[in-house]
Amino acid sequence: MGFVDWFVDWFVDPYGSAFMQRAAVAALMVGVLAPAVGVWVVLRRQAYLGDAMSHGTLAGVAAAYLLGISITIGALAAGLVMGLIVTALERNRRIGSDAAIGVAETLLFSVGVLLISRSDRIGVDLTHFLLGQIVTVNDADLARTAVLSAVALAAIAVSFGDLRAVTFDPEHAAQVGVPVGRLRYLLVALISVTVVVSLDTVGLLLSVAVLVTPASAARLVTDTVATMTALAVAIGVTSSLGGLTLSYHLATPPGPTIAATTIAWFVVVAAVAALGRRSHGRSHGEPVELDHLGT
Amino acid sequence: MSHDGVPALRDVTFSVGAGELVAVIGPNGAGKSTLFKAIMGAVAHTGHVDVDGSHCHHRRERTAIAYIPQRADLDLEFPLSVDELVLSGRRRFLRFGRRTTARDRDMARSCMASVGVDNLAGRRLGSLSGGQIQRVFLARALAQEAGVVLLDESLSGVDQPRAEELVDLFAALCRHRGTALLVATHDLALTRRRFGRCLAINRRLVVDGAPAAVLDPAAIESVFATLDHPAHIDAA
Repeated sequence: MGFVDWFVDWFVDPYGSAFMQRAAVAALMVGVLAPAVGVWVVLRRQAYLGDAMSHGTLAGVAAAYLLGISITIGALAAGLVMGLIVTALERNRRIGSDAAIGVAETLLFSVGVLLISRSDRIGVDLTHFLLGQIVTVNDADLARTAVLSAVALAAIAVSFGDLRAVTFDPEHAAQVGVPVGRLRYLLVALISVTVVVSLDTVGLLLSVAVLVTPASAARLVTDTVATMTALAVAIGVTSSLGGLTLSYHLATPPGPTIAATTIAWFVVVAAVAALGRRSHGRSHGEPVELDHLGT
Repeated sequence: MSHDGVPALRDVTFSVGAGELVAVIGPNGAGKSTLFKAIMGAVAHTGHVDVDGSHCHHRRERTAIAYIPQRADLDLEFPLSVDELVLSGRRRFLRFGRRTTARDRDMARSCMASVGVDNLAGRRLGSLSGGQIQRVFLARALAQEAGVVLLDESLSGVDQPRAEELVDLFAALCRHRGTALLVATHDLALTRRRFGRCLAINRRLVVDGAPAAVLDPAAIESVFATLDHPAHIDAA
C-alpha cells in the first residue's frame, strides 16, 4: 500500500459520513478554544479550578435537563455559581483557595449526581455528560459551539495584554489601571464556556485534559505567552482531530482517546524539552551570573 | 494600618520632594513593604497619601506611582520578554482597544536605553542577572512615567559593584527626570555612603534625615530593636 492509499485509509475514509464530519468540526473548535483558555489556567496555576469547574458543571447540566432549558445556560449558570461560592469562601482567610474550590466542587458535583439519580429521564445520558459523545453532535450543537468559541477567543484577544500583566504582576497591573477583579471573573467565565464546549467532545470528566495538558506541554518549550498559545492550540487541534481519527480506527470511545492523545503529546514535548536542556547544558555549561554571588 | 488587628505601622508622616532619593531602612518585619503598599493603595489603611498635591488612591493618581517588587515575589520563569515587560508600563496611556502604538514602543525602547538594557530586549527575565532585572523594572517604571518609584529590596542579591552602579542610576534618574525614588534596603553602609536621606522604620518612623547625621548607634539600636509581633507584619 502506497503513502496515498495509507493516508486516504487513515485520514479521509473516517470522515465520509456526515456525523463524523460534524464530529471533526466540533473537535477542531475544542482543540482551538480549550488550549487558548488553558494557557491562562496554567500560567495562573489554577488547573484545580479548571478541574473543579468541569465537575461542578454537572449540577447545571442536570438541572437544565430537568427544567427543559438549554444545557448551555445550565452549564454557564453552574460555572457562575461555582465562581461565586469560591469567591465567598476565599474571603475567609482561614480557608485557602484550594479548599474553597474543593468545597464548591463537591457541592455542585454531588447535587448533579443526586439530580440525575432522581430522574429517569436523564439517567441514560450520564455517561454522555461525563465522557462526551462527539459522534452525536448535531448542527445546532455546532452552531452553539461556534458562537461560544468565537466570543471566548475574541475576549482573550482583546484582553491578552491585560491578562498577561495581571498574571505576572497583579500589583503593578492594578497600579497601571488593569481591571484585575474583572479579569478574574473573565477567566472563570472562559473556563465555564470551555467546559460547555467540551461537553460533547470529551465530556465533563476529561475536559480538563484538553484545557490543561496542551498548555502545560507548550509551557515547557516556549518563552512568550504568544508562542505558548500558538503551540498549545497546535497541540490541541492535532490531539482532538488525531484522537478522533484514532478512535475510529481502534473502535475506542472518542473522548478518552482524545484525552489520551493530549497526554501522548505532553510526553513527547517533555522528552524534547529534557533533551534540549541536556544538550544546552553540555554546550554552554551552567550559566554563572556574577550579580547573584553577592559580596 | 494593621494586619489581623495587630498594628503594622503607625505615626508615619513624611514628605518626599520631586527628584529626591530616599533610603527606607529597617529590619525584616519593620513594615517597609507595608509602607510601600500603603503608598500604592494596595492595602487598606487609615492614613493619607498625596501625590502632586492631590489625595491619592483614586485610579488616576495611583497610576503615577510605580512599585518594583522584591525579586523573591516574582515568577522569573514567566514567559515574558524584557521588551514586553517594559511595554506593560505604558498600559495607563492606552486608549481604545488597548493596543500599543509606535509611540509607546519608541518610548519603551528609549526607557530601556536610558537604564542600559536596550540590548536585552528579547531576553527572558529568568536569563538575567539580579542587577539587570532591577534595571528592566526601572525601565518599566520610566515607561509608566511614574513620578514616584518604590523599590522594594532592589539591592538585595546584587553584588557590591552592581549595587553601587544601581545607586548611580537611581541618582541620575532623580536628577534628570525629577523622579522621587524610595529604596527599601538593609544595607546601612551603602545608605550612609550613597543616600542623602533615609527613613528608618520599625513599625513607626524612628528617624528621618541625612544618614550620616541620624544613623548614630542609639538610633540604629532603636530601629533594629526586637519586634513585639514579628510574625504579623510586613506580610501584605
